[in-house]
Amino acid sequence: MSTNKNQLNVITAADMTAAQLDLDADVVIIGSGAGGGINAYELAKAGKKVVVLEAGPYVPSEKFTEMMAVSMATLYEGEGAQSNTDGDITVLQGRCVGGSTVVNAALCFRTPDYYLKKWGKEFGLTNLTPEVMLPYFEKVEENLGITEVKGHETSVGAEYIKKGMKALDIPLGLARRNIRDCAMTGFCFAGCKTDRKQSMMVTYLPWACNHGAVIYADTRVTKINTQNGAASGVNAEVVDPKTGKVKTRMSVKAPIVVLAAGPTGSPLLLQQSGLANSSGQVGKNFACHPSLSVTAMFDKKLNDFHGATHSLFDDSHTLPDDGGWIQLNAVQDPVEASFMAEPGTGKPYVRYMQNYPNSTRLITLIHDKNVGEVTLENGYKEIRYQVDDEDFEAMKKGLKDNARILFASGAKYLYLPTSDKQRINSVDEIDSVIDALENQPARYRYTSFHPQGTCRMGADKRKTVVNPYGETHDIKRLYVVDASLLPTSIGYNPSETVYALASYIADHINEANPS
Amino acid sequence: MSQINNQRRQFLKLATAISATVMSCSSMQVMAGILTDDNKMDATEQAVFNKMLAISLPTEGSNLVDPATLPVISTIEGALLAGMPHHIRKGLNQGIHYFNQSAEKAFGKRFTKLSDEEATKFVDQWAASDVAPHRALAMGIKKLTVLAYWAIPNTWAPLGYDGPVSEKWGLAKRGITPEPQA
Repeated sequence: MSTNKNQLNVITAADMTAAQLDLDADVVIIGSGAGGGINAYELAKAGKKVVVLEAGPYVPSEKFTEMMAVSMATLYEGEGAQSNTDGDITVLQGRCVGGSTVVNAALCFRTPDYYLKKWGKEFGLTNLTPEVMLPYFEKVEENLGITEVKGHETSVGAEYIKKGMKALDIPLGLARRNIRDCAMTGFCFAGCKTDRKQSMMVTYLPWACNHGAVIYADTRVTKINTQNGAASGVNAEVVDPKTGKVKTRMSVKAPIVVLAAGPTGSPLLLQQSGLANSSGQVGKNFACHPSLSVTAMFDKKLNDFHGATHSLFDDSHTLPDDGGWIQLNAVQDPVEASFMAEPGTGKPYVRYMQNYPNSTRLITLIHDKNVGEVTLENGYKEIRYQVDDEDFEAMKKGLKDNARILFASGAKYLYLPTSDKQRINSVDEIDSVIDALENQPARYRYTSFHPQGTCRMGADKRKTVVNPYGETHDIKRLYVVDASLLPTSIGYNPSETVYALASYIADHINEANPS
Repeated sequence: MSQINNQRRQFLKLATAISATVMSCSSMQVMAGILTDDNKMDATEQAVFNKMLAISLPTEGSNLVDPATLPVISTIEGALLAGMPHHIRKGLNQGIHYFNQSAEKAFGKRFTKLSDEEATKFVDQWAASDVAPHRALAMGIKKLTVLAYWAIPNTWAPLGYDGPVSEKWGLAKRGITPEPQA
């Protein structure tokens, strides 16, 4: 069925009147982010009746505020407060129709061949060769308008950093982003108010609705159901966001269940349902690409407020053998700047914020080991993860590179994102200040934009949760299509990897389950 | 040893509660939930936040907006505490009380009774402490306070920051992208 209205067909808690709603579908998809959106479209287009259940709200883009503070509260998991158990890593994920694709920086990288080969060798994913994946990358790049930034798509801070990279003979990495006609507001993290970022909300989800898919927002799945070792549907609750109370209980009977609730939500739902965990690996192997942001202060106003959120990177050390870190520039609003450095309490802090217009930042993000775990404890989500000691050493090397680039860009002094004042006043101080840093909890102001790895994909059912085609080893027709799949962290923003893997798995679902 | 470990674990729980709630304070009043009696600040918490605000943003002599003229404390309460899960709210309350009382050891007075100079020194000492929960509490309470201040748009003008721009710039909505045709 093709209605071809090219609009979202979203039902929210406000639309619900019945206490109980029972639906039948060919496919129920849990989550409407990258994996869920792409599968909704590809499966609906193939003639399947698709129902998408999204735990977060539907916030149309005209209601985006371009204020990070408000956006955190409306569009992010846990109102932006999701963190690891130690509380020193903020783990950011979208929680709204469109998921993280609504609030990410739109930065796209193809999965490096290095990892596809590694996954083949170490996890038996010999099906995911660079040759097999190439058409999937090309397809999502075409559909989402993924292109390299044009000359004007930059920011004041990026232009300074570019000079620094050139002075140090560092190859300029020009960002590839899923944005069409970027207006350079710099509000990617707050949602694109004018729909230039090609999130699921303006691409795959409405396209899925053209083929009959229906999206239920405010709807959290409580249990995945099975029958005779195969998926059979889900139970869910539609929650009134104004009261937090359940308005409607829902059941969806469907022979195919696609799990796309994200790397914290998907493993928890499997744990709650008591499913797909014969390996004991559900929720384990959590990685998150911890990042630290170095604040550079200049002796003149940069007003680095708007522009392309990210436009420039240095990936000359991103593969593990080269160091395992990447540098990314980013614009920053005063709310973020207010806690990204510690200049000292009182007058030093006032001076620091007065000089906010003179600042820019460069982010160091590391490829990390899969040493964490997501569990439910006393009914509450726990993300048990501490930065590994070896990974911290990679972070230190990355921070040194970061600092050298910023000084070469013209910075007069730098603040490291630490609990206490850590200021670097010159190139000569870089090594001594950073060498003294120790890997300690609650010492650094980490942010993670890339949780991953909690329903690891692989051929060996004793060591992984999902088979090489996205289906759980234990339960037939129960598929996982989000960043939970990644067997290892990849050091680069994983969004295009998820887009491509989700497309690949959708093709497999359609082949294995003809309409 | 196990007692020390238990204490450390308790500290970590408190620290976690503080840190985990910090980002929530970014929710401004427009997003405030229903503030139940259980979630309201007690008198000690109000005093701690007021003291932290006073020492973190001594704006006299600068062009920044005087925090005393802004609803910073009510933003913390109305946006952060409202709707906070019970276990987090309880841990936050315990952490703030612990922080307040701990100043007695170093300065002979509770944090709220310290002079601004002493309070500033206490916060900076804890931020540099070898004890992880001390770092977490100092960083967390301060972060929470300054975030609530900067989340109020009135504070941006002295920085020259212009805030939301799409409407100001007259940007047209691009709308939903047409479905690819086979």
